[in-house]
This record gives sequence, C-alpha cells and structure tokens, in this order.
Amino acid sequence: MTVLKGIDLTKAFHDGNVETQVLRGVSLELQAGEVVSLEGPSGSGKTTLLQILGCILSPSAGTLHIHQHKVDSNSKQLAAVRRRNIGFVFQQFNLFPSLSALENVQYAINLKGVKGPAAKNEAAALLDSVGLSDRARYLPRDLSGGQKQRVAIARALACKPSLLLADEPTANLDSTVGSQILELFRDLAKQENRALLIVTHDPKVRSIADRVLQIHDGRLQS
Amino acid sequence: MVDLALKILLHDKLRFTITVAGVAFAVALVLSQVGLFFGLLSNATPTIRNASADLWVTSRNTPNVDFAHEFPETYVNRVRSIPGVSKADNLIVTFMNISLPNGAEEGGVFYALDDFSAWNLPWRVKEGNIQDLRRGEFIFLDESAKRRLGDFAMGDFREVQHNRLRIAGQSQDAKSFTTTPVSFIDFRRAQEMNPDLLKGNTSYILVKLAPGADASAVKAEINRRLPFNDVYTSNEWASKSEAYWIKNTGIGLNAFLAVFLGVLVGVVVVAQTLYTSTMEHIKEFGTVKAIGGSNADIYRILARQATIAAVLGFILGLGIAFAQKPAIEAMALKLIMPASTIAIVAIGTLLLCLASAMVSFRKVANVDPGLVFRS
Repeated sequence: MTVLKGIDLTKAFHDGNVETQVLRGVSLELQAGEVVSLEGPSGSGKTTLLQILGCILSPSAGTLHIHQHKVDSNSKQLAAVRRRNIGFVFQQFNLFPSLSALENVQYAINLKGVKGPAAKNEAAALLDSVGLSDRARYLPRDLSGGQKQRVAIARALACKPSLLLADEPTANLDSTVGSQILELFRDLAKQENRALLIVTHDPKVRSIADRVLQIHDGRLQS
Repeated sequence: MVDLALKILLHDKLRFTITVAGVAFAVALVLSQVGLFFGLLSNATPTIRNASADLWVTSRNTPNVDFAHEFPETYVNRVRSIPGVSKADNLIVTFMNISLPNGAEEGGVFYALDDFSAWNLPWRVKEGNIQDLRRGEFIFLDESAKRRLGDFAMGDFREVQHNRLRIAGQSQDAKSFTTTPVSFIDFRRAQEMNPDLLKGNTSYILVKLAPGADASAVKAEINRRLPFNDVYTSNEWASKSEAYWIKNTGIGLNAFLAVFLGVLVGVVVVAQTLYTSTMEHIKEFGTVKAIGGSNADIYRILARQATIAAVLGFILGLGIAFAQKPAIEAMALKLIMPASTIAIVAIGTLLLCLASAMVSFRKVANVDPGLVFRS
C-alpha cells in the first residue's frame, strides 16, 4: 500500500532577486512497511525534501499525496496532515528539557486530544516499547544520547503515524548505540507496517534499508 | 495534561522569580497608592458622612466642609418653616488656635452645635458625655489630636483662643483632610470665643427631612428662600468636598501617576521576561508545531504562563500591601482597600499580563517548524 507519493516536487528559495533551486522535479513513493534511506552530500536538498514530505514546507511545484489524498499547501491543512499521519525523529532529539521522558511522550499524546490517565498510560506503553520504562521520570539532561533518541522515537509514535521521517537519527550517537537505534527503527517499521524514510550520512543505515535513494543537486538518482 | 507552560516557567526559576516579583511590586504599588488615596479622602468627609443630616445649607460657593464661610444664623428659621423639613439647626465649623502646655500653638477645626446628639456628632465617643458641652466652658477633643496636641485626658484644661476650656471627653475617628485636630464645642461658646467672625453667624444649616418628604422639592424651596446660599444632599456635599481636595492638592494626579507607573512596571517586566523566555524556547515551540501542535496550542502556553505570573504576583503584591498597613497606620495615615478595588486590581493584573504575553504571540505565530531540523 502506498503511504506517500511525491510527483515532480520542486522547491526554490528566494533571497531578494536571487533564486536558489533546491529541489528539481523529485518524484518518489513510499510503501507501508518499507524502510528507505535517503543519502546525499550536504546541500543536496535532503532536509528540504524531508520537510516537504513531512508537510512542514510546501513545494514550489509538484504534488504530494498521503494515503491517496492530495496535500494542500494551506498551512492549517499541512499541520493537520502532520498531526494525523507523520512522526518525526530529529538529529538533535529536540526533547523538551523541562519535561521528563514520560511527559515528553505524554505531551505529544495530549496534542492529539487525549488527556488524563489514558494519555499517561499510552505514553508509558510507548516508552516501554522502546525499552525505556525504567527511565520514565528522568529529565532529558539525565539521559544518554541513545536514551534521548529512544524517547524521541516514542514521542514520534504518539500519533500512531503511518509515516516515520528521521533526520540523521544516528549522527549524535556512538556506533553501538546507533546500531541499536537502527534495529529499533526497523522493528517499528516492519511490526507496525509503517513507511520509514531516514535521511542520513551514516552507511550503517543501508543495513536496515529496503531501498537507498541518492540525491544530488536537488535530483533523485536511483 | 502535561503542563508545559508551568514546566518551562519553573525551568528557569530566577527568571520566574523576577517575573512574579515584578508583578507583585506593581500590584503592591497600585494597591498602596490607591489605598492611601482612599484613606486620605476618607478624612475629607467623615463628619458629612456620619452626621444624620439629609441636606446641608452652605454659604455660596463654599469649596469644602472645612473651609466654611459665615452667614446669618437667623436663616435657619426660614428653613425650619419649609414643609417637609423635620428639623434644622445651625452648625459652626471654624478654625481657632489651641495653646499647648509648652507655649506653642496649634490650629484646630471646631464643630459647634446646640445639640450634638440630635445630629450624631461625634459618632464615636471614647469617653465623656457630649451633652456636657452645653454646660459651658467645655471641649470634646478627638483622640487623634494627641499627635498634634500632645497627650491629654478628661478633666485636663486647654486654652483655645485665650479661653480656658476643660476637656469633657474624647471622640474617635473625627479627622480632617489637613490632619488639623477636630474638636467639638457648644454653639454659643464658639460664638463667644470668636465674636468678630461668629457673633450672630453660622457656617451651615443641617436639615433633616420629614418622612416621605421630597428632597429635591425641599432643596428647591430652600434655594428660593435663601438665594445667596447653596443646598446639597449629604452625598453631593461629600463629593464636592472630596473633589476639592482631589483637584487642588494633586493627590488625584499623584494617585493616577502611581497607578500608571505600577501598570507600566508590571507590563514591561512581564512582557520583557515572557518575550525573552519565548525567544530562548523558540526551538521548543518549533518542536510543538513539528509534532502536530498549532499556533493556538502555543498561544495557550504563553497565556497560561502570563496567568500564572499574574495570579502569583497578585497574591504576593496583595500580601505586601496588607503588610504595609500597620506601618502606615502608625504614621496616622489610613490604607483603605475595599474589596471592589482589590477585585478591579486583580482583573486588571490578569488582563495586563495577558496583554503583555501578546507581545510574544506574533513571534511564535511565525515560528518555522523547520527550525527543528537545524543543529
């Protein structure tokens, strides 16, 4: 089943009269349960593509479909699609430093309208699924890099997303922990039938990827 | 529900303390200045508000109750004959000098009536019988006069305008706006003590209406019969007296400026600290958007932070204002904070803090969730 389909996506940024073409007609599809690695040198357009696929940016041209539905460029609709379908994992983790591990996950659940004990139980279950139930009350500053990334993954799963987008998820982790996180990603994609796109420089990602996409100068090269 | 707003506030406890302290300072400043304003004003009209007169007849354009001008005492007979008037009496309010045991002199404001009991003056008697004033050379002093006249007791003598008077009792709460001591003496005694000014004259006519009488009709008739006098209801006369002091002493402007400064300090502190906090947590707000939150979710966080600062700051400020009360009363001043004023300041604090938070609203409305992808 196709989770995501981008057709001829282009993106240009303007700085005064200077136009910078970042994406040049990118088309791609992601299937449910599929793990895709997106690789490319710095400045090739990886992160811009990730933001468009994640409904954070709208493309200058081209169309994006999620579950067969065309995504409008209206910012409210982008936010709604993001909230319902997409989970993000960031290179910098981006956890809320003042919230415990459990609260970080619970807050994301609250945002989709679930409150009270139900949200807390769901957050605890998600933390358990990433093997961090014993660190639920720890603040991010008291967690290791790998543990922070696990919390971030649990938070990304809060909206039960059909699409997981990860931006350099192993960049700030040592090799062993990075491998463990990748294993976790693969399990989450396969067991729950989620599409997973990982933007990375890390060659280890290839070991869990069903497909590797290369991007250069804003163009995909298979 | 995870309270991200409170957690962010408490994450930087020093900044949070400064925010709450800023609000508390502003609230304490506003409450104490407004309380002092009301306290001072309450001294301007206690005799008007406590006397049982329905109407006051004054000489033309008398500015306030203490600055009376004289007119013939026989005018009272014209008032007494008006239908609807149950009782009318002359009242003298005049300044005279009181000699102190150390040889110095202090000014005093004297209220002189034939029958004090009939007009509920003085309204609080600490000791003595007010009817004793009719016996001749006696005086009732207000307890608050001790601050200016030194200690005194019933039975002591004081010299007023070179007349030796015996203290027949003490009243309480009879004060004047200028803090000049208030005393009570017999009407005829007052005329004898200052005949040049008071012989055959009075300062006011106090009027009590008959049950069911139409106050405006009686007023109109008094105006017709005494065309060179003014007539006020008690409330009108109290308001006129208060307005005089507000306009002519600058206390109204002073209170307004203090309230304005308090508001300004509160708004600047809250706006500045919330804005700085928002800027420092801008990436977190970007994360909220990236994980599905809307601008409304972020506005709620900022509004809740402003509300927390407002509530805690108001409670602390109210505590500070009340804690000042004993020290202010020790200086013979009053801090009057009616519940309605406290409620208005509470609502104002909340609204101004929310308005301050709106400075940050525009910033977060434009937060790019793509911010979270930057290292």
